[in-house]
Amino acid sequence: MTDLAFLGIADAADLIRACKLSPVEYVLALLDRISRLDSRYHAFIHLTADLALSAARQAEKEVAGGNWRGPLHGIPCGLKDIIDCAGLPTTAHSKVLADNMAMADAPVTLRLKAAGAIMTGKLATHEFAIGGPSFDLPWPPAVNPWGGNHFPGGSSSGSGVALAAGMLPAALGTDTGGSVRNPASMCGITGLKPTYGRISRRGVLPLAYSLDHVGPMTRTVRDNALLLQVLAGHDPEDPGSADQPVPDYSADLERGVKGLKLGLVRHFYAEDMQAHPEQAQAIDRAAKVLRGLGAEVREIRLPPLQDYATCTRIIIRCEAFAIHRRWLAERPGDYGNLARQRILDGAAVSAADYIDALRLRGRLTRRTLEAFAGVDAALTASSMDPACRIDDAEACARLYPRQARQPFNVTGQPAMAIPAGFTQDGLPLSLQLIGHPWQEAMLYRIARAYERATGWTERHPPGL
Amino acid sequence: MATNNDTARETAAAARLSKLDTTHLSQLKRAIESARELGDKLPKDLHYSEEIALTFRLTASAGRRP
Repeated sequence: MTDLAFLGIADAADLIRACKLSPVEYVLALLDRISRLDSRYHAFIHLTADLALSAARQAEKEVAGGNWRGPLHGIPCGLKDIIDCAGLPTTAHSKVLADNMAMADAPVTLRLKAAGAIMTGKLATHEFAIGGPSFDLPWPPAVNPWGGNHFPGGSSSGSGVALAAGMLPAALGTDTGGSVRNPASMCGITGLKPTYGRISRRGVLPLAYSLDHVGPMTRTVRDNALLLQVLAGHDPEDPGSADQPVPDYSADLERGVKGLKLGLVRHFYAEDMQAHPEQAQAIDRAAKVLRGLGAEVREIRLPPLQDYATCTRIIIRCEAFAIHRRWLAERPGDYGNLARQRILDGAAVSAADYIDALRLRGRLTRRTLEAFAGVDAALTASSMDPACRIDDAEACARLYPRQARQPFNVTGQPAMAIPAGFTQDGLPLSLQLIGHPWQEAMLYRIARAYERATGWTERHPPGL
Repeated sequence: MATNNDTARETAAAARLSKLDTTHLSQLKRAIESARELGDKLPKDLHYSEEIALTFRLTASAGRRP
């Protein structure tokens, strides 16, 4: 049972392909685990047990008949509940959309289904991917399996929790100001925000059109590359989608980092913000590990973290308010307190400030890409702190802006959060890697070398 | 500059938010103050030649005749 719980996509795929693991057996084992654990961790909003079992039987038949579709065939997968799956409600974890039935699959859902993945359920999110953790919604917030009663990060909170607790090996999240990388950091898993335009966002409830990304979330780097492989590609009906070639994301995974030039953005967590000492030390240690593996690591400077934060906050507020204005006008009481506050924030921003934020975005992007010109990729903090208790609203509010993820929503560069050790209290620490646009494969190469050297992704929450 | 209830009500009316109760209006007051603070943090040296990051573009196919 434990083996199946923490089996990754790559290993499960090998077993399924060789008919040594039945997709039905795999799904049943995870459903049993979910039924035992989810009353405590609240990762799922809708568990689709019957649909999952039916799809697993179909996958088993196909594989036995010699029709293996690829590494996702027979792999259980969950969707953050702002992503459409035909015939299931897309609630956004909100009373406002409690009965919002999706009529069609989002392209990302279709891609997963076409690859043979088993849709296992819709996962908890912060309300509309912006308001959380909240206790005044129709469903409770997801809880981190690491620690006693800790915040799992967000807004893709259920995705992070389901992976960390061994309920699923693959999940999708979305990232507008860091919402894939935050739960990845807090839950000790691997989360990628790809280049803006790399994955279609059609059929996904928007938070802020110009900053929204869909991202793969897994426990290991190799699994993340396998999941991105299925999701990446042009969607002419998504205005933000880019028509760029999709490389083989697993091809360079084991090439190592010898000879690579890496930029360390130390001022983000040592000057612009003071990271928790254990978190800062974890990143400095990661730089040392990568040097030891043969990379050249030198400090680079980007614009101050606060400039990116101002830019992102204004854009998210304005675009989110524009999207929500009609619902907010009709049913303000149906929003949870936190989401209502954060969306109302956009009602008070002037059009000129919004335009100036977009102009600032251009400037910040130019300066960031200039600073990246001499390096293959960069590393810095994702979160400045480990998780706090989820029932401490003030601590959660303090934690929320203490991060260095927003810069790469502004610039659209690919960025991933990976585990980088643990605090003395046993809470996950994390590292963020950032690449040039469309260079996700380089991030996977570096992350895999670091993962292999440290083994952090092999650890799971005690007792699980 | 403190925001009063009238300012919040005026902002709500301008945004066509007619069903906000007193709790929601208090949230809007905080939003107004926060928006002011955020706006003050924007750079003052943006030149008119610095265009917005995402500009509307027509695709090549949009020019094709049916």
